[in-house]
Amino acid sequence: MVNQASTMPAAALTGKEVKGRSPWVDARRRFMRNKASVGGLIALILIGFIALFGDAIAQWSNEEIDFNVMGQALQLGGPSISNGHYFGTDDLGRDLYSRTLQGTRVSLMVGIVGAFIAVVVGTLYGAISGYVGGRTDQIMMRIVDILIAVPFMFVVILLLVMFGRSLFMLFFGIGMISWLNMARIVRGQTLSLKHKEFVEAAEATGVAPLTIILRHIVPNLLGIVAVYATLLVPEMILLESFISFLGLGVQEPLTSLGALISEGASTIYYGTIWQLGYPLLFFVITLFSFFFVGDGLRDAFDPKDR
Amino acid sequence: MITYILKRLAIAVPTLLFLIIVSFLLMHAAPGGPFTQERQVPAAVLANLNAKYGLDQPLWRQLASYIWGIVAHFDFGPSFIYKDRTVNEIIAQGFPVTLTYGTISFVVAVITGVGLGVAAAIYQNSWLDYLAVGISIGAQVLPNFVMAPLLLLTFTWWLGWLPGGGWEGGQWQYMVMPVIALATSYMASIARLTRASMLEVLTSNHIRTARAKGLPESRVILKHALKPALLPVLSYLGPAFVSMITGSVVVDFFFSTGGIGKSFVDSALNRDYAVMLGITILVGALTIAFNLVVDILYAWIDPKIRY
Amino acid sequence: MAMLEVRDLSVRFNTPDGTVSAVNNVSLSLEKGETLGIVGESGSGKSQFAFALMGLLAKNGRASGSVKFEGKDILNAPREVINPIRAQKIAMVFQDPMTSLNPYMRVSDQMAEVLTYHRGMSHRDAVAESVRMLDAVKIPDAKGRARLYPHEFSGGMRQRVMIAMSLLCRPGLLIADEPTTALDVTVQAQIMNLLADLQRDFGMATILITHDLGVVAGFCREVLVLYGGTVMEKSPTDPLFAAPSHPYTRGLLAAIPRVDQIGDELSSIPGSPPNMTQAPKGCPFAPRCGFSAEDCLDHLDPLTEFAPDRWRACNRKVEELA
Repeated sequence: MVNQASTMPAAALTGKEVKGRSPWVDARRRFMRNKASVGGLIALILIGFIALFGDAIAQWSNEEIDFNVMGQALQLGGPSISNGHYFGTDDLGRDLYSRTLQGTRVSLMVGIVGAFIAVVVGTLYGAISGYVGGRTDQIMMRIVDILIAVPFMFVVILLLVMFGRSLFMLFFGIGMISWLNMARIVRGQTLSLKHKEFVEAAEATGVAPLTIILRHIVPNLLGIVAVYATLLVPEMILLESFISFLGLGVQEPLTSLGALISEGASTIYYGTIWQLGYPLLFFVITLFSFFFVGDGLRDAFDPKDR
Repeated sequence: MITYILKRLAIAVPTLLFLIIVSFLLMHAAPGGPFTQERQVPAAVLANLNAKYGLDQPLWRQLASYIWGIVAHFDFGPSFIYKDRTVNEIIAQGFPVTLTYGTISFVVAVITGVGLGVAAAIYQNSWLDYLAVGISIGAQVLPNFVMAPLLLLTFTWWLGWLPGGGWEGGQWQYMVMPVIALATSYMASIARLTRASMLEVLTSNHIRTARAKGLPESRVILKHALKPALLPVLSYLGPAFVSMITGSVVVDFFFSTGGIGKSFVDSALNRDYAVMLGITILVGALTIAFNLVVDILYAWIDPKIRY
Repeated sequence: MAMLEVRDLSVRFNTPDGTVSAVNNVSLSLEKGETLGIVGESGSGKSQFAFALMGLLAKNGRASGSVKFEGKDILNAPREVINPIRAQKIAMVFQDPMTSLNPYMRVSDQMAEVLTYHRGMSHRDAVAESVRMLDAVKIPDAKGRARLYPHEFSGGMRQRVMIAMSLLCRPGLLIADEPTTALDVTVQAQIMNLLADLQRDFGMATILITHDLGVVAGFCREVLVLYGGTVMEKSPTDPLFAAPSHPYTRGLLAAIPRVDQIGDELSSIPGSPPNMTQAPKGCPFAPRCGFSAEDCLDHLDPLTEFAPDRWRACNRKVEELA
């Protein structure tokens, strides 16, 4: 029998073929097509820019008390360009503009640090648990199960009350909670990666387990980790604002969006509505943006319906 | 099935013990005892107090008798601040209130969330879907401590429809705003989860089979799609329930409902460790029990787990 | 009039990358009790063709053309029209028995609901009938096994369950979409033998969709070769194997490994199936075809009958394919 196929001219191969695209390029294309996510990303960049550099046009620091408006917040403390309080003042006569910027910085920092702890601890923990498997995996996951069942909000409050309020304690408390779900997700993902050919190939050539985890497993987890980290940031911000709301968050004169919102909420009946409005606006836009970006990333990395 | 439940129980009990021990040790690791406060207490009085509360005993004995008290008599010991009140009495006052509005909020959140999510998935890209997605996105950035003042402002100050606070034995007017404030963001999350997983299930092969069998769409959804679509929602319910109980702190603050959240915040501000510890452990136990129920439900739905 | 008449069926999908033409103007007809094989590489549109018949396309898919079953138009028909036909008149067996059965329902329940819904049987009777059908597909201890869940069956047994479920209402037409692809080689033969036996016993018309010409040879009276969603060749089975008239069919036949093959290299068709986002203007196979010329890239001669009952779509004459 003549082997017809292999005698076909090579020129036939140069026709239109499906062009290879790297998964990252593909993901970016899908992300950029999602209008809400791109909008969220732009809003985030804007918020970040204002939070970092907005102080340049502030006329009051976040601690200064404007004695002209003190005690007359309702009549004189409203937003105005002329007296330099763009967002008005708080009940004590402090400039809400610089306080909001400063609060945004703290909230963003709490969110990002919390998510960062989650990424580092959760990824390593989950990858090791999933990769090693067997009894180690069972024990490691059992520990996560136990920790997840603890009412952490209460424990965090307990910690903050007993050891005093500090940024460190806040991060410690938030960090304790944040990595648990990440570890679970990463473990599940690792389990399915473990039996992929490239991992087995690495094992067959005698690469050490830790090297396999760091070189072959973790890079392949980056997509999903990025997605959940983005979605974790707003959760951490919510958590911190809840703690701040209880008056257990960062200490004056430092503030955070949660603390500003709770202050604003408690004075809302006097009619000083801007005291709730501006911090709430920043809060809502920040959270929205993170959720949109996270959703967009998830769709981009994990295309279900293409 | 029974072995499965027993296995889950075998995890639940050590979890609870772990929680008790850690909280207890934390309390004792705190700088200064409960009675070393701003006001000076004479040394003799302090020694007396310590003896009364058993604080002069070695740590392990205190821990053992504390655990024994909880296990054997469901007794969390005396309050450190209120001289003639036990932790049990303080909890018994607020807990039923929290449990009432917490449970109602939970049921409301689950039913409306699942309903909204399923409807949005079935009518994907319709106005109903956009509405559901809009509501759930909006509600996600309005946590209970933002919802609560907004509700008060609207329904009490502007419209004057609802009383601004109180509990009054749980009459419905006093319950409406706490329930909305607590339930909204969880309803939103549940709706989002349900919608996403329903959409995924609806494209799965076994749904195609069900359709190829010529079954009416209602049966395809209810009999074939709903169960698998609810599995991820089910695993969210445990954490959601805990957060709702935690949300009691906010609800009690804004609506003066006098639930367990108020006791917790009061004790936190008074450094009444015994009450804080008792509430933490109680909520922890509730969480563990709830997760146990969720696990059992999960096994009941998913036959692969059973063996 | 034939039982099934398909005229110019096309299927398009709207995707973010553009419109994908999965099936282009496919026509065929099928008489009662006949067997037809649809052959093509993966991505040739053969499964989407079957889904379009049954109204099972994904949400972003659109079918055009016409499909008449027993004289009734069923393409894109509303649910009230198509649902009584599904399972009762046209049943389908899917490729992956692992995921095509509902993992959360007992086998007996998912089978019985077909009968309770279409035939109005009581649940008890429906279960009894389902067990009889499980017996018919040679599942040992059918009565006991019916109570189990799908994950408690092996792959081959699951496909038997799938087949039994599709036959419950004695459909006039069975569409089997790659029924053996997900199975072990030894099990594949068992399932194909079972399908052949059932086809003979029940006398239903069958459309067998596969990428494996070898499977078709033993089962189908007629074969339709699809490439890039377009019919390349349509012919009774025996002459097709004896003298394939299309370069693509020849490539497929040459790619079947044979024990008596001389030489040590397995043959394949160079290149890969086309990117379907651009609707093909000429012959979709042209870029991979050894006989292609300039004209193949911008037009393709329509399907023509070049011998009794044998149809082909190719710009080159049969004699030119030496």
